[in-house]
Amino acid sequence: MTLATLAMLAPRLAHEFPVADAAGPEWAAWILWLPALSTVLCGMCAALRVRNKLPAWITVSLLSGSFILTAMLFAGYEQPVTIHLVDWFGITWSDTTFVANFAFYVDRLTLLWMLFVTGLGTLIALYAGEYMEGDVGAGYSRFFAGISVFLFAMTALVMADNLLMLYLGWEGVGFASYWLIGYYYRKPSAVAAAKKAFIVNRIGDLGLALAVYLTWHAFGTVQYAELFAAVQANDFSAEAGGWSVQAIPFLLMLAAFGKSAQLPLYVWLPDAMEGPTPVSALIHAATMVTAGVFLLCRMFPLMVLNELALPVVAWVGGLTALFAASIAMAQHDIKRIFAYSTISQLGYMFLGVGLFTTAGAAYHVFTHAFFKAVLFLTAGAVMHGFAGQIDLRKVSGLRHMPGWRVTSYTMLYACMCLAGVPLVTNGFWSKDAIMAEAFAAVGPGYTALAIIALVTALLTAYYTFRVWFRVCAGPVHYEPGLEQHGDAAGGAFHPRPPRLVINLVLLTISAGAVASIFCAEWINGMIEGSTAAGGLPAVHEAHEGAGVWSDPHAWMPYVAGAVGLVGIAIAWYLHLANRTAADDLKRALQGNVVSAWLPRAMENKWYVDELYHGLIRAPLWLLGHILNLLDRYVLDMVIVDGVARIPRMLGRGFQPLANGVLQSYAVSMVGGVALIAILVFVMPEFLEMLNGWIGGAR
Amino acid sequence: MHLAEVNLELYIPIGMLVVMAVLFVTANMVLTHLMGPRTLGANKDVPYESGMNPIGSARKRFNVRFYILAMTFLVFDVEIIFLYPWAVTFAKLEPRSPEATLFLARIMFFIATSIVAYVYAWRKGVFRWD
Amino acid sequence: MVDSQAMLDKVWFILPEIWLVIGAMVVSMMGLSGTRLVRDAVPVVVCCFLAVAMAGIAWVYGDADRLAGIDLLMPQLGPYVKMILCAIGIVLAMLSVGLIDRPLEDSLKSGRARFDPIRTSRGEFFAFFLLSLVGAMLVCNANDLIWLFLALELTSLPTYIMVAISRPSVKAQEAAVKYFFLGALAAAMFLYGFALLYGSTGTVVLTEMRDAFAEQAAGDGLNRLAIVGMILAVLGVSFKIVAVPMHFYAADVYEGAASPVTAFLAFVPKTAGIVAIILLLGTVGWSGHGAPGAGGLPQPILVTLWMISVLTMTLGNVGALLQRSAKRLLAYSSIAHSGYLLIGVIAGPGMGINAVLFYLLAYGVMNTAAFAVLSGLQRQGEEIESLDDLAGLRHRYPVMAVVMAVAALSLLGFPPLLGFWGKFSLLIAGIEAHRMPLVVIALVNSAISAWYYLRLVGLPILAMPTPASESITHRPVPWARVAAVIAALGLVALPLFVNELLP
Repeated sequence: MTLATLAMLAPRLAHEFPVADAAGPEWAAWILWLPALSTVLCGMCAALRVRNKLPAWITVSLLSGSFILTAMLFAGYEQPVTIHLVDWFGITWSDTTFVANFAFYVDRLTLLWMLFVTGLGTLIALYAGEYMEGDVGAGYSRFFAGISVFLFAMTALVMADNLLMLYLGWEGVGFASYWLIGYYYRKPSAVAAAKKAFIVNRIGDLGLALAVYLTWHAFGTVQYAELFAAVQANDFSAEAGGWSVQAIPFLLMLAAFGKSAQLPLYVWLPDAMEGPTPVSALIHAATMVTAGVFLLCRMFPLMVLNELALPVVAWVGGLTALFAASIAMAQHDIKRIFAYSTISQLGYMFLGVGLFTTAGAAYHVFTHAFFKAVLFLTAGAVMHGFAGQIDLRKVSGLRHMPGWRVTSYTMLYACMCLAGVPLVTNGFWSKDAIMAEAFAAVGPGYTALAIIALVTALLTAYYTFRVWFRVCAGPVHYEPGLEQHGDAAGGAFHPRPPRLVINLVLLTISAGAVASIFCAEWINGMIEGSTAAGGLPAVHEAHEGAGVWSDPHAWMPYVAGAVGLVGIAIAWYLHLANRTAADDLKRALQGNVVSAWLPRAMENKWYVDELYHGLIRAPLWLLGHILNLLDRYVLDMVIVDGVARIPRMLGRGFQPLANGVLQSYAVSMVGGVALIAILVFVMPEFLEMLNGWIGGAR
Repeated sequence: MHLAEVNLELYIPIGMLVVMAVLFVTANMVLTHLMGPRTLGANKDVPYESGMNPIGSARKRFNVRFYILAMTFLVFDVEIIFLYPWAVTFAKLEPRSPEATLFLARIMFFIATSIVAYVYAWRKGVFRWD
Repeated sequence: MVDSQAMLDKVWFILPEIWLVIGAMVVSMMGLSGTRLVRDAVPVVVCCFLAVAMAGIAWVYGDADRLAGIDLLMPQLGPYVKMILCAIGIVLAMLSVGLIDRPLEDSLKSGRARFDPIRTSRGEFFAFFLLSLVGAMLVCNANDLIWLFLALELTSLPTYIMVAISRPSVKAQEAAVKYFFLGALAAAMFLYGFALLYGSTGTVVLTEMRDAFAEQAAGDGLNRLAIVGMILAVLGVSFKIVAVPMHFYAADVYEGAASPVTAFLAFVPKTAGIVAIILLLGTVGWSGHGAPGAGGLPQPILVTLWMISVLTMTLGNVGALLQRSAKRLLAYSSIAHSGYLLIGVIAGPGMGINAVLFYLLAYGVMNTAAFAVLSGLQRQGEEIESLDDLAGLRHRYPVMAVVMAVAALSLLGFPPLLGFWGKFSLLIAGIEAHRMPLVVIALVNSAISAWYYLRLVGLPILAMPTPASESITHRPVPWARVAAVIAALGLVALPLFVNELLP
């Protein structure tokens, strides 16, 4: 995209959406306070060592309250409003102000996100109440306190009316994620994963912190209403602030890529699957990881400050989608496959944002939240039932086992959504909106990007159905995982089918997925009326020849549908009809010298972790040890102790003055006064010198 | 400054005061000498006959009650000092005017504090000398 | 003739003080009562009088007409300073419950002795307590040097006696004597300064003095006599705020007095002194008299204050490094905090003075919290003094340990505690007034102070108890501990209302 087209777009963009200038209803504050209350109550349950499911019921009921309030807010929505909760920061000095209150900025974007965050949050908490029952009395309260903290922080993030509160929520969800990934804190891998998630996210957070600072620096405010008003009034210039203004979109991008696990900061998300499965479903699939997309949508007006920003977003998204999908093809751990697919689908969303089709991106976020939640929850159900077994080679024929029908078929439907089976699945429609735009939009290498997206769709269909055909179809056989249930101790292992609550939750969310097929227009409307109103059609080149092929939106459904079905067919052949074929193929690839690296590299996740280890961790480790030695022997012994001795030596020097004798005190006092008098009056030169140094003259 | 410029008449009252002071002291001494009863003795000849011995080291302990009594005296002494100018000014104020009321209220408050001090001293046993 | 309305207004604004003087008389009489219940009620009555006085302050200063007509240099100081004096006074009174006459009351209770008014001093103690507070409050209403002098002395004189009777020990009496003599020396010094100020302007009224100075400055600069007088006066008053070079008494006196009295000494005279300094400097103003084209205080005075500030904070912090006694340590910390306060004084009206007032509040609360912990604990009826006595306090009295840690962190200026906001506003004021070197020195000093404040945090919380600290017990009366908890809660909760609390 050229600078000229952007210069044309920016003002248009800036006038598209309404900015809040009215106050909303007071009761909406409870959307934020209910999860906070839930945290406190769960904390009290932990302190009182409650030994039943009370924490789950507290959480579910308060979160559903939050959802209902959100729905009421949505029902009564007329125009963007701000809702003031509590004064927070209000610093004024000279003519500069820094105001950031606990307040909500409610527009359609906020409501869209809040609806699925609180809705899915409630359902998944309900599921977790059943799923985590083994921990009742132990970590149960801690778990639900963590979920509540997450919902509180996520609400703050989404509903914030200023960047600082958003930052608070951003850090809050990061913290909750750390808390819940490390839930099984006795397991070293879980602790390592929690730390990894936290540390990698810090890189993104740094970007956000700098972006907040630069925004305040450039626009003089961090409050959305004022910020967007300034943007709308064209009261800024991308060139005026120099590099610092132009840096804002890139810093925001860095933050978004960290939180939403995009290249190169995606490495934490697969490891995050160490957390309990409901956490993976809620935080690491449906809601938190979309915070990056939300951030870019919310700050969309700022994303045009540099003409390169959005193409970069598109390219990073597209490459991440392909890259993660290729890794997912070669994994055996079901949750990891879904984690990589999450990364891949997030890549699609960023592709959408980068291509100006924020509506498509938001639609994909919305649909993805449903089907990915179902995928994780069914994976959790399998894990729960087969004593922690999560390897797709070790469980087969699930749909033929008694009690697993709901799990199998909801999983099938979710897989179809992810694979993009035409017409009946929501994923088909939302992905289609993005991919068509990729072909239609004009920009640096966008055609290649579109082809990448299409290839990724093929891979996606393949690896998704690889899971389903392996786990749910085929002959019945299974091996239990390592977690020993009490009932398996004596005799043979029996899988424990999911109970009613879990099935209900699965069905409800699947129904939501079905319903979301019909939401495209609604979401279009939601996005059009918000700050993310970049859903205006991207710049299309006028095509000469009329007809179907001139408009990618017209032919895309057919192509995408076909690609999806081809992927499924390949999966069917390799993993159901002829399971040995997959191994043969792998062996053939490995046998060939030229291609042997491919399966191995894919299985080892393209060695990215090892690369990071070598490029970043090892040098840092070395540097750390060098600095440690420097610190211990040079800084501590020579400088710190040396400098610290100076005040103490001074103290010793003055100590004789404090000898406890009245007369000498009096003499010292009078002497001190005399000394000052002499200094001030007898030594005017000294006075001049001192005065110059003190800065007497302003 | 030339002596002739000084208006010596201004110093007449001061001269009179000096004369009166000298006369007062002399008269008292002469009168007590003539009229007072006489008991002689070593203690009688010291300048402060009920107080401490003025000869010898000044750094010695004497009864703390002297201080307490002196301070109690001070309470009333200061009260008198304030009452005189007050009385002189109060007489010139217009009766029942706000100033007059304020003046009265102030001195009343002041006298009340003195009374409290007096009662306090009494309760503390300042006037017991045993 | 007398302007009766002006006089009535003057009395109107000191009605709370008059009320407290009445309170002083009441409690001094109550202390002499033969009934134990009445004697025990003394602190309660003190708190009631203070609470009513707070309401009274709000009431008298609510009268906008009178406030507009009041003839004061800085009428806005009054309500804020008086409020914090009374509010913290209530907490300080709680600290002092059960402090005075404890052996006497014990022997009365057990019937070993009969009540004799001459042996009791609880009534006096609380009467002096109130009178000293009244003195500090009256400083705010001073519009002439004589009033100012009397108010300052009314603040100080009762404290000499409070130190002496605070505990039955030679140390306390030694401290009182030192305090008294050095106080008298300082009073002589600032009185001499006052005399020179009068000599150079021909008036003792502060507002008239301001006009006289303005006139002098418009002519050929400030009178040299005035500058000498101002410097002497400020140096003399800096005795009250324990600033260099008048700080020598602090460690001995603070150590000698009982902890509740030390807490009182570190707050009330300091408040009175700093307000007095602000009023005195208000006459020359911060608009750069005597230094054409420059803002700020007149140069010699600025230099003097600058040096005092730097020396005070440095000597205070450096001195504290070597202390083994918790009370001496807090004494030196009190010196250092005066140095910080002077930054705000140098910065001047607006942000500077506001920061000073806010810092007084913050310092009052955190200082009281720290001393309340010391007041709440004892070893066989004796005060605890050494830092080592606090080691491992958490294992025996976790609440006290936490309060001590919070107070020390706040004194250090650790966010988000109250002390942080106080120091923050002072430093901002310093920066706004373009006193960067001063601010940098204050920051370096803050870093030095971390050394000993963190010991006050670490010893109670992290260290293991020693045999010496195992013998520490609660005082029988719980009020000091209650006060400690209240003050600590204040340190944590008040930052939420920073905007409302800033004057």
